[in-house]
Amino acid sequence: MTPVLSVRNVSKSFGGVKAVDNVSFDVHQGEILGLIGPNGSGKSTLFNCVLGQLPASTGTVLVDGKEVAGKPPCDLNKLGVGRTFQMLQVFPEMTVLDNIILAGQEHKGTMLSRLFGKPDAGLTEEALRMIDFFRLGHQTHEKAGSLSYGQQKLLDAAMAFMAGPKLVMLDEPAGGVNLTMLADLKERLKAFNQERGATFVVIEHNMEFVMSLCTRIIVLANGRIIAEGDPETVRNDPTVIEAYLGG
Amino acid sequence: MSKHTLATLVAGLAILILLPFTQSNYGVFVLCSWLVYSISAMGLNLTLGYAGQVSLAQASFMGIGAYTTALMTMAGVPWPAAMIAAMVLCFVIGFLLGYPALRVQHHFLAFITLAFNALVVLMLRNEEWLTGGTYGIVGIPRPELFGLQTQKPLAFYFFVLALFVLMAVALYAIIRSPWGRAFKALRENPIRANSLGVDIRKTTLLAFAIGSSYGGLAGSLLAQLTQFIDPHSFGLTISLKVLLMVIVGGAGFFFGPILGALLIVLAPEFLRFTEGYYLMIYATLVIVLMVFCPTGLLGLVERARTALKLRQNPNATTWEAGR
Repeated sequence: MTPVLSVRNVSKSFGGVKAVDNVSFDVHQGEILGLIGPNGSGKSTLFNCVLGQLPASTGTVLVDGKEVAGKPPCDLNKLGVGRTFQMLQVFPEMTVLDNIILAGQEHKGTMLSRLFGKPDAGLTEEALRMIDFFRLGHQTHEKAGSLSYGQQKLLDAAMAFMAGPKLVMLDEPAGGVNLTMLADLKERLKAFNQERGATFVVIEHNMEFVMSLCTRIIVLANGRIIAEGDPETVRNDPTVIEAYLGG
Repeated sequence: MSKHTLATLVAGLAILILLPFTQSNYGVFVLCSWLVYSISAMGLNLTLGYAGQVSLAQASFMGIGAYTTALMTMAGVPWPAAMIAAMVLCFVIGFLLGYPALRVQHHFLAFITLAFNALVVLMLRNEEWLTGGTYGIVGIPRPELFGLQTQKPLAFYFFVLALFVLMAVALYAIIRSPWGRAFKALRENPIRANSLGVDIRKTTLLAFAIGSSYGGLAGSLLAQLTQFIDPHSFGLTISLKVLLMVIVGGAGFFFGPILGALLIVLAPEFLRFTEGYYLMIYATLVIVLMVFCPTGLLGLVERARTALKLRQNPNATTWEAGR
């Protein structure tokens, strides 16, 4: 089976610094892949290269077997790649409902049909289901900026899922989220994965969260993959322990 | 739209229809300028208020629209064709002016659009063979509708009012459509919008193009209203005036620019009794408003409404708490 995401020999340098150094891996349908590593290990740079936010210096990225290098983020999104950001990324002055509809509308019809078609692009019902799914139902008509930090994280994730993506890339979804909300988020992500077969790649520092969510983990250090395997294997890998403790 | 809003709109329209009958010719002229500037400010509100792209060039589009209409109608082209040509030309030039916005934002973009405005004024002044230079163009005809002349102030007022309503409805439809959502997303967070499939390139260019075409139509109407145009009428100060209308009324509020234009067109009339002090009072009022309510008058209204809602039901919204 063609991997949903295939990263082949990707490198990225900033001046003389190799932030990502010849990284290759595949992600298959239904997997939840964790990408971990100490600060500065190249996780976010790798993410940005895969998502077209930064051009990779060398190497290729394939989504569903199709080369995506050089495609702008909006085109990548149309190919079925959703993402969340490390820093909060919602549209604060728009309502929760409008945030979610926006996340789906660009996948409906053409630019012209969106101007003359329904104001909600026919998405209100689906959007309300998504809002309920992420337990934000009581906030539907509030401005997104008025939600608590954790709720905005949930909204951010909900937006990434709205267009029914094949692959969702989550950049530190747990950062700054309190424990109750975190359990909620994890449970919602797992449910999405099981019910809709969505594939995830997750960058995360919260080890407990990663270990309990992911099916496979890749560890990066100094831009290179130093370990790979199921959570248990990675947890006990001496090179990983050394990388984290800086031994 | 709620029944309440609809009733308000109908009442507003009724006032707009009846008001000119109570006015002198001069009063009707002032009302016409208000509607014309409102159309221009509505366009800038789309570019700036909804899509978040700073532009100090709205007057230059009014100029392009005015000269296109004047030159074409005086050369014998029927006025509907001339007015549509003015809008299309402004749409295209606005689209092109959007390109710098793909690279730079905020004050850099302000300077680029400012320079563009200066360039247009220079061209209008220097290309005498076409534009009449500083003397401008005199004797621009007003349109004739089904054999009905709009030479009389009242008739022309209703012509302007009809176009004003048409353009307001069109803008409302755009704002409500997925395009409007994409414009707001561009304003609030272009990177996130892009990652959700919004083509921010096209969206930015269209925000400029549509906003500019509104400027073009306003210029077209201004040429017919005053029947005389010169480069001075489309200089940077006029761009700043239109910008002020948007900001004072409330950028990103649908009725903001209309209210702003009303205040800024009428303020000189109301403050006439102060004679020499007019500009000082006006400037002070603007400073006070901007310091205490940078979101404009409608922003003030919204703030009051939220406060009222909170008082009636402290748990109604977390909007204030979340800020």
